Amino acid sequence: MATETAVEPKIRIGSIHKSYFIDGAQQEVLAGVDLVVNAGEFVSIVGPSGCGKSTLLNIIAGLDQPDSGSVELASERPGELLKTAGERLGRTGYMQQKDLLLPWRSVLDNTILGLELKGLSKKQAREQALEYTEAFGLKGFEHHYPFTLSGGMRQRAAFLRTMLMDQDVVLLDEPFGALDALTRIQMQEWLLQLWESLSKTIVLITHDVDEALLLSDRVYLMSARPGRATLVLDVDLPRPRHYDMVTTPDFSTLKAHLMEPLRAQTQTFKFQANKSVGQAGS
Amino acid sequence: MSVLRSLSGLLTWLIPFGILVTLLVVWELWVQLADVPKWQLPAPSAIGKELVSSSSLLWDHTLVTLQEIVIGFLAALIAGLVLAGGIAYSRVLERSVYPIVIASQTVPIIAIAPLLLIWVGYGLTPKIIIVALICFYPIAVNTVDGLKATDPDMVNMLRTLGASRWQVFTKLQIPTSLPFMFSGIKIGVSVSVIAAVIGEWVGSSEGLGYLITYSQPLFLTARVFAAIFVLSVMGIGLFVLAAVAERMMMPWHFHEKLSNSMRQL
Repeated sequence: MATETAVEPKIRIGSIHKSYFIDGAQQEVLAGVDLVVNAGEFVSIVGPSGCGKSTLLNIIAGLDQPDSGSVELASERPGELLKTAGERLGRTGYMQQKDLLLPWRSVLDNTILGLELKGLSKKQAREQALEYTEAFGLKGFEHHYPFTLSGGMRQRAAFLRTMLMDQDVVLLDEPFGALDALTRIQMQEWLLQLWESLSKTIVLITHDVDEALLLSDRVYLMSARPGRATLVLDVDLPRPRHYDMVTTPDFSTLKAHLMEPLRAQTQTFKFQANKSVGQAGS
Repeated sequence: MSVLRSLSGLLTWLIPFGILVTLLVVWELWVQLADVPKWQLPAPSAIGKELVSSSSLLWDHTLVTLQEIVIGFLAALIAGLVLAGGIAYSRVLERSVYPIVIASQTVPIIAIAPLLLIWVGYGLTPKIIIVALICFYPIAVNTVDGLKATDPDMVNMLRTLGASRWQVFTKLQIPTSLPFMFSGIKIGVSVSVIAAVIGEWVGSSEGLGYLITYSQPLFLTARVFAAIFVLSVMGIGLFVLAAVAERMMMPWHFHEKLSNSMRQL
């Protein structure tokens, strides 16, 4: 993978639309989203709450289908494109907002869930997972139940579960959203290191602009519902990156580029919310 | 904090025990002081004496009733779990069989008991059937609820990991259903004793329920009470057994509850 020139698109999304029936009314969630993610890239999608970011990831992961438009996910085999939701299901590593650890399984047995579903024996799967528990900060907690762990550890366990599937494409839906600020920064730095050593293609959803800029090669800004990509920003900060960069002038310039349209949107969003009181969407 | 915990743990046992002892003392004193005739209401001490003197008689009948309960309950458990699994797994079964299961609960099983005598005779079989019919419902309905209580996000997570429908069922739905299933089992165990006694009342020649109906017209009231005492102990014992099985099968559930209540303290 590292030998490939990183121009081959791993994910190509062409003007997808998606509506849901919410509270008895047809509501458009995605209104013509275009997105390209090349192999080995780290791409973030930033947008206000309720802009359909999670729907977009669900569609890429194959959990949901767009009403119209095309989604292509390149498989590991050269030239093969997975175009239907059914084909894509189980072909990406998808980590949702909640850690979704099974309470009846130990941390270790949670991380091997995907391997077990593939048909590996528990013993084989555990051996494989144990090689990574140190790198994922879970050493010494392998046999604990999830509820005894801190939020950060639970997220890392969920992340190891995702990574053990060894998919080329990893989708992250606000993985650090529920963590406190300090743990969040630790996790961001940890993810940076991990990604730089793994050469995966990552799509990250976040509403934290710092997080998006620090981690990504490219940032897509999405508008409030109905969501569409309104701005694409290349993040040309040097790698390897560190959290210290957040305070550099280059970073601030990039941040200003993102914040301005984002704030404008949130204001119109608020205005709309005022007009339609009682129609709160999730 | 640990001192507080063990103290409150002791209190939760001590209070009901104290109430029970007080009631027994009041009962004993009232019978003694008011000189209530023994055939009308025997004192707790007289019941205790009866338990000792008729112990072999009680033991024989206990074994019969216990047998009816255990076989009937296990039959209900197997049937209830299999049917619940089918209903949760298959839309067709859910639409066709589940309404019948729920409607069946409106049939008074006590009214069916005499019919069972006509159909399968006087032996153990009709009692086992009655126990099974009564235990079946709480087990089946609770387990169906549990199998359907899965978090849709968890289902999606498993699907993105490539899980099949069957894998979602075995890896997620079954473990999720366990606490519900055990609620059903505990209700089932509690009513199983009543079911066996009803079965024996309708027609039998052995069992603790029979011993009660046989002793009552002879005004052997102390023996009636002794039989009731044994039935209660049996019911409590079976309940404790179910609770122990629950703890052994779901250690995470109780650890989690404990750690949550610790956090509240």
